[in-house]
Amino acid sequence: MTGYAIRADGLVKSFGSTSALRGVNLWVLPGSVCALLGRNGAGKTTIVRILTTLIQPDEGRAEVAGFDVTRDPERVRARIGVAGQSPTMDELLTGRQNLDLIGRMYHHGPARSRRRAVDLLDEFGLTDAADRQVKTYSGGMRRRLDLAASLVSDPPVLFLDEPTTGLDPVSRLGMWQAIRDLVAGGTTVLLTTQHLEEADQLADVIVVISGGVVAAAGAPAQLTSTAGQARLRVTLAAAVPAQLWEIQAALGPGARIEGRAVTAPAPGGLASLTAGVGRLQSTGAAIHQAGLEFPTLEEVFTSLTIGADPIGQPGGHDGGSRRLETSAS
Amino acid sequence: MTALITEPSSAASRLGFAMTDAVTSTRRYLLRSVRQPDIVVGGILMPIIFVLLFGYVFGSSIQLPAGNYRAYLMSGLFAQSTLFSSAAVAVAVATDMADGVIDRFKVLPIARSSVLIGRTVCTVIVGLPSLAVMISCALAVGWRAENGFGDAVAGFALLSLFGFTMGWAGAVIGMYAKSPQAADALSMVPSMMLGFVSNVFVNTANMPAWLRAFANWNPMSAVVSASRALFGNSQGVPVPHVWPLQHPVITTLAMSGVLLGVLVPVAVRRYAAPT
Repeated sequence: MTGYAIRADGLVKSFGSTSALRGVNLWVLPGSVCALLGRNGAGKTTIVRILTTLIQPDEGRAEVAGFDVTRDPERVRARIGVAGQSPTMDELLTGRQNLDLIGRMYHHGPARSRRRAVDLLDEFGLTDAADRQVKTYSGGMRRRLDLAASLVSDPPVLFLDEPTTGLDPVSRLGMWQAIRDLVAGGTTVLLTTQHLEEADQLADVIVVISGGVVAAAGAPAQLTSTAGQARLRVTLAAAVPAQLWEIQAALGPGARIEGRAVTAPAPGGLASLTAGVGRLQSTGAAIHQAGLEFPTLEEVFTSLTIGADPIGQPGGHDGGSRRLETSAS
Repeated sequence: MTALITEPSSAASRLGFAMTDAVTSTRRYLLRSVRQPDIVVGGILMPIIFVLLFGYVFGSSIQLPAGNYRAYLMSGLFAQSTLFSSAAVAVAVATDMADGVIDRFKVLPIARSSVLIGRTVCTVIVGLPSLAVMISCALAVGWRAENGFGDAVAGFALLSLFGFTMGWAGAVIGMYAKSPQAADALSMVPSMMLGFVSNVFVNTANMPAWLRAFANWNPMSAVVSASRALFGNSQGVPVPHVWPLQHPVITTLAMSGVLLGVLVPVAVRRYAAPT
């Protein structure tokens, strides 16, 4: 036993002449959340497919829940849950039938499978829709059912491939809460996302994947600070040219004003926000909206690729990757 | 947190788990079939049309040495309907492969064989109502199981075994096809070859020699001959002097065994292959 819920060393994978992964290391401690952050085609899904035994790496090895994914795939499968971006529920069957069948496939037997299906449907607010065909479900309901399906065996390690892609904001918040509840119960979660905000909200450690290697890794605060700090964004009730100079003076030299929009660096996060808003109000400016804005994924990437990391250097399997250890929260 | 992990501890329990998985998978496909009544109804209507088309449209012009052509024809049509169901398996398997459902099954701790076993067993079970309809049609047009109940059951058991075997041929096609449409197109050629270049409609004796050789050794001809013998409705048509048609029951059993021995591992290996 290595003591890690997920441990990957030097994963390399090519599809034909396309190199998908070029040496990825990933260590995730039990009970923590690790977010793989990257664009489409960065290699996130390939990592998840290797760790969930769907494909084999060309080089390197990986252990999940203490078992090798290529030598002992069945033991790994018995210990993981997987929910993906593409729906994997049977559209023709009802939500209840889907969950019941999956319970039987974990060899829980008919009675226990039925009970578990009822509990999960209840837990995810699908009881009313339990006996409707999945093809009548909304996008959010399908995603909840998919997550419920991944939890049938109460797995110690959960893989979520872009769990909120395509969800409306309310469903997204619901999904985030569901993930937090699971982690509070001790589940280890590896999730992939294209949204920094999502990674920031959920993860103990964010791993930025770019071009098949780990471009950077660290706690959210650490990563966003390397990528550029949070900003304060204020929308004024009206653009008053006469107040410009005063506003600029109140927020300091980093502030930028464009029409009604004012942005300024917020190195202290929430503290900077409240202080900045206070100073603005003292100028007499009427504030319509105020909030913190985090660097976008685009900005994280830009700053990372400008930095010293030799991303994309040929032959450098370990070039851009850093070992990381997540801390259990 | 207690994970609900149930794992096989011995070879025997592994086999038990695999059988449970096959039952679960069959159950899934049966539940799906209930939701697709159009496919089931199509499977029932098709044989009726075949009996009308071949029994009356063509059959009215075919003379047999003794007795009723439609009684002779029915064994052929029973076998043909089980053969044509293999195309449905090919399309269903290719459809499963094309959407995300199979990925869900592949990350579950189930026997790799179970999904395909479920699919092929389901085809045999779903074929039963259409077989019942066909038997009713057959009785209406003058077919009888002349050799009694036991032989009749044996005949239908052989036909079902043949259908199961052809279902696995469909599964192989479905596994290798790039899309459900491709699977449908790919199953056409073997279905037509096996289904028509045979003794389903006429005695092979009048075919040109090169075609006759294929027809006589076609497993389809063996199963049709076997069921004609068991149902006792050869209607005086002489059986060609080739070994497989002289010993049709043993030939059907042996050919099904050999075909299953090849097709099952090929399909399952393809299914289980990590990409």
